[in-house]
Amino acid sequence: MSAASDKRLILAWLVLSAITISQLGLGSLDALTPNAAIASSAIVIALVKVRIIFREFMEIRHAPALLCRLTDLWVVSTGVILLGSYFLGMALSKG
Amino acid sequence: MTTAARDTAGRSRFVPGQPDMWAFVLFESLVFTVYFTVYLVHRSQDLDLYRQSQTHLDLHIGVFNTLVLLVSSGSMARCVQAARECAYRTALTNAIWTLLFGFVFFVSKVFEWTTEIERGFTFSTNEFFQFYYFLTAIHFLHLLIGFVVLAVGVRELRSPARRSQETIETCATYWHTIDYLWVLIFALLYVVR
Repeated sequence: MSAASDKRLILAWLVLSAITISQLGLGSLDALTPNAAIASSAIVIALVKVRIIFREFMEIRHAPALLCRLTDLWVVSTGVILLGSYFLGMALSKG
Repeated sequence: MTTAARDTAGRSRFVPGQPDMWAFVLFESLVFTVYFTVYLVHRSQDLDLYRQSQTHLDLHIGVFNTLVLLVSSGSMARCVQAARECAYRTALTNAIWTLLFGFVFFVSKVFEWTTEIERGFTFSTNEFFQFYYFLTAIHFLHLLIGFVVLAVGVRELRSPARRSQETIETCATYWHTIDYLWVLIFALLYVVR
């Protein structure tokens, strides 16, 4: 295995692990109070991790543009749908 | 595309593994997006119940499981790189590490379910736990299928006559899907408030 590609994979794994451990702090914050900042951060951070997995582990960065766009489209649309569901649900439950 | 063909193509772009697997992966991702959306919509109808129930999940186990799957996924990515460079011994070692860490996740998840059930939190406890068991069980089912897929990859790597870079990459694509779906399940069940 070439040293450069191995280094890149290890770096990606370190970044993903660091983000995951940081979520430990996020999830430990007051569990009983609705917190839109925590919720939206958790969703965005998860999607950033998914994109790193797509690009680095699943080698999307070497894939044809169509596949790159499809995976990016899924990440962005999932983000919009999940955040939309969260905030719309919160607004409806208050109303 | 074969390894030789890729070498000829130089730095040109390629679809990792079989395109059919990518179609399946994208379809599965859409199905899970629907599950997640239904979960968040239901959650908003009874926020107190969901938040109270979430406190009964062990965040540390959730983080541990995520890290274990990330190591497993990282090993699979190294396996693909090594196989591409014809370092099949390294590729096989990494594929076995992938399987082992997948098995650690398997054991950890069974332990977590057992602990929750012993504490009285079962599928019928409330709506949050119905989603918890449904989402984690459907992911677990994908993990079990992943073990079969990985076994195919290991079998290919062990025999020079059977080795196919495309098959190894296809197996990897499936395994990474298990990883990123868990990343989202972890965020929604354990972290979102």
